Amino acid sequence: MLRIENLTLKYEEKLAIRQLSLSIKAGEKLAIIGTSGAGKSTLLAHLYQCLKNDAAYSSQKQGLVEGLSTYHNVFMGSLSRHHWSYNLFNLVSPFKLPLSEVTLLCQELELDFPVSKRLSELSGGQRQRVALARALYQQKDIFIGDEPFSALDPLMSRRLLDMVFERHNTVIMVLHDKSLALEHFDRIIGLKQGQLHLDARQDELNSQLVDDFYSDVPPPAVSPILTGSDV
Amino acid sequence: MFKSLPFIGYWQKTTLSLWLIAAQCFYFADTEIISLDPWNEFRLMVEGFIRPDFFATEYLLEAMWQTVSFALLGVVFGLLWGAPLSLVYSNRFVATLCALTRSIHEIFWALLFLQIFGLSPITGILAIGLPYGATFARVFHDILLQSPKTTVQTLPYGTDKVSRYFYGRISHVLVPIMAYIRYRFECALRSSAVLGFIGMPTLGFYLETAFRQGHYHEGAALLMLFIALIGTISLWCRPRLIAVYFVAALFTLPSIPPVDGALLWRFITQDILPPALQNLSTWSQIDLGVMKSLSNWSLDLLVEQAFPGMIVTLLLALVSLAMAHGIAVAGSGLASSLLTGRFISKVTHACLLVIRSVPEYIFAFIFMMLLGPSMLPAMLALALHNGALIAYLTVRQSDTTQVGPHYNGRIDGYCYDVLPQIYPNLMGLLFYRFEVILRETAIFGILGIASLGFYIDSGFSEIRYSTALFLMGCTALLNIVVDIISRRLLTANTGTQISCARDSATRADR
Repeated sequence: MLRIENLTLKYEEKLAIRQLSLSIKAGEKLAIIGTSGAGKSTLLAHLYQCLKNDAAYSSQKQGLVEGLSTYHNVFMGSLSRHHWSYNLFNLVSPFKLPLSEVTLLCQELELDFPVSKRLSELSGGQRQRVALARALYQQKDIFIGDEPFSALDPLMSRRLLDMVFERHNTVIMVLHDKSLALEHFDRIIGLKQGQLHLDARQDELNSQLVDDFYSDVPPPAVSPILTGSDV
Repeated sequence: MFKSLPFIGYWQKTTLSLWLIAAQCFYFADTEIISLDPWNEFRLMVEGFIRPDFFATEYLLEAMWQTVSFALLGVVFGLLWGAPLSLVYSNRFVATLCALTRSIHEIFWALLFLQIFGLSPITGILAIGLPYGATFARVFHDILLQSPKTTVQTLPYGTDKVSRYFYGRISHVLVPIMAYIRYRFECALRSSAVLGFIGMPTLGFYLETAFRQGHYHEGAALLMLFIALIGTISLWCRPRLIAVYFVAALFTLPSIPPVDGALLWRFITQDILPPALQNLSTWSQIDLGVMKSLSNWSLDLLVEQAFPGMIVTLLLALVSLAMAHGIAVAGSGLASSLLTGRFISKVTHACLLVIRSVPEYIFAFIFMMLLGPSMLPAMLALALHNGALIAYLTVRQSDTTQVGPHYNGRIDGYCYDVLPQIYPNLMGLLFYRFEVILRETAIFGILGIASLGFYIDSGFSEIRYSTALFLMGCTALLNIVVDIISRRLLTANTGTQISCARDSATRADR
């Protein structure tokens, strides 16, 4: 589906990703782990740029609008599906069909309050689920998420992750919850200082591997960068 | 001047300089009290306020409704042309055009349109709508700049431009923009009432008549109604009702007299031209002689009217600014529950609310009745209105200010704990209001104070439209220059101070 080679990216004038090569197959469930500042979000944003035609992106900067209702914030996921005049009218007075769809989606996400509630009245966890709802409402084939559950409890994270898996063929997600990544994803990649230090599939995955990655033990598998032509 | 004084900080220096300059200005200003018997007049006025007569004015309800209707239609017209312009405000030409339109007071626009349309509703609506639209363009542009860009970045790929703009940018600032429109509507009510002073059928017309004829019982009733009208905006101005009001305003407009096309054409092509150009039929007739008389004409105007007018305008504005500062500091102290306790602070707060609702023009009018025609009534009026407004906004901040456990609730504790925290914002607001004060200064000319407005008003009443227009241009330029200078001064020293002040002025003053 996507193949990148020797990718180098900058974030705010600093090198964030260095000569990274990666290929992602359609249907894969890929988790990205790594410490803060390892370049995860930069990589994710780049992946979204490559896949934006078919992908929904749930960014860490949620981009929610304080002054609008929960309904409108979720509806924004479907802006590209409608004509602008439809969108504008909906801003003033919601249409019935999207209203019922969004209400249902919010219920599934355990947002048990009226969708007319203003975003500024919501808590951190509720906001994160509204941002997630917006991404789900894009109804795309690929889901790209940047720590979409960071403000939620582990149990709810699992339930919502199942929802994301149900509705998308391919899932690429930055996670900081190690066990969530190990249990649910069929491939984990680990970033360190902008480079790929871990790339393991379901069958070779174990907790030790991830712990080693975090504790600076050099990975047993040869990193793909080192096998490049520059050796 | 203050270099050797290590404990005199930036704000102390600014304050001292302001007062020094104002004291000099006060010395040169004409502040003589000329009234023969001010106390008698004052006693009559107080009596009027004690026993207001609400049934003396024949067309009371109609006047109130016309005041609301002109304000509403003016704001709508301003929104119609100002809101789209805010999207292209970064264009220099648009910005200059708006700055010029904005810097001329409603009442001068009204005087100008009065010559073309007569006492027609068009005059009132245009007079409010033009400067308000220009203000909307600028403020909306400023607010839009603060709208975060993250939402646009997270919208689904392929979202069309219009939806991107409305959902991604405008939706973020909808709340401050609505608040600002509401605030401007309140301002428009004041402007609309003031238009009555030049003959529009709004409250100001009846107010002026009542006060001039010494019918203080009637005048007091009108003034109280007007304050009540502004004070209860939130009760009668519901979003759902606005559409109803709008339709009603359209249907109940006084009939629009037909505009004589030939007269309009004559006005544009002849009357507003300088005398030297009036009798020319083609461009080719412009020669050295014409140019010379043109330059003589403008030089005479500059020396005899524009410069003296400017000096008086600046004197008046600076003294008013310093007086407003005093009122703001005292008022915000008295109204702070941290200093005076619950009861006094509540009473002061209510007073501030009332004072800031009254247009300065009406204050000046009342003071002029008492003190006679000098610059003093205008100074007091400007200082009271603006000082109360600044105090009102500052108290909102001081009420949320955190004080330590050692706070003693006395004046010394207030000066140590609270004042330093609220002072920068107070000064920011004060300097932001300078632009407004300067603009308002000009209209006191209509009451006879020899500011620029006086010469403009005389120009119109002597049917010398070219003179009036020339002086209006001077007023606009003066306002723009002062605006640029004060902005430079303030941003150079305090960084974002002015934007904060403007922000809280627009957001808090609802």
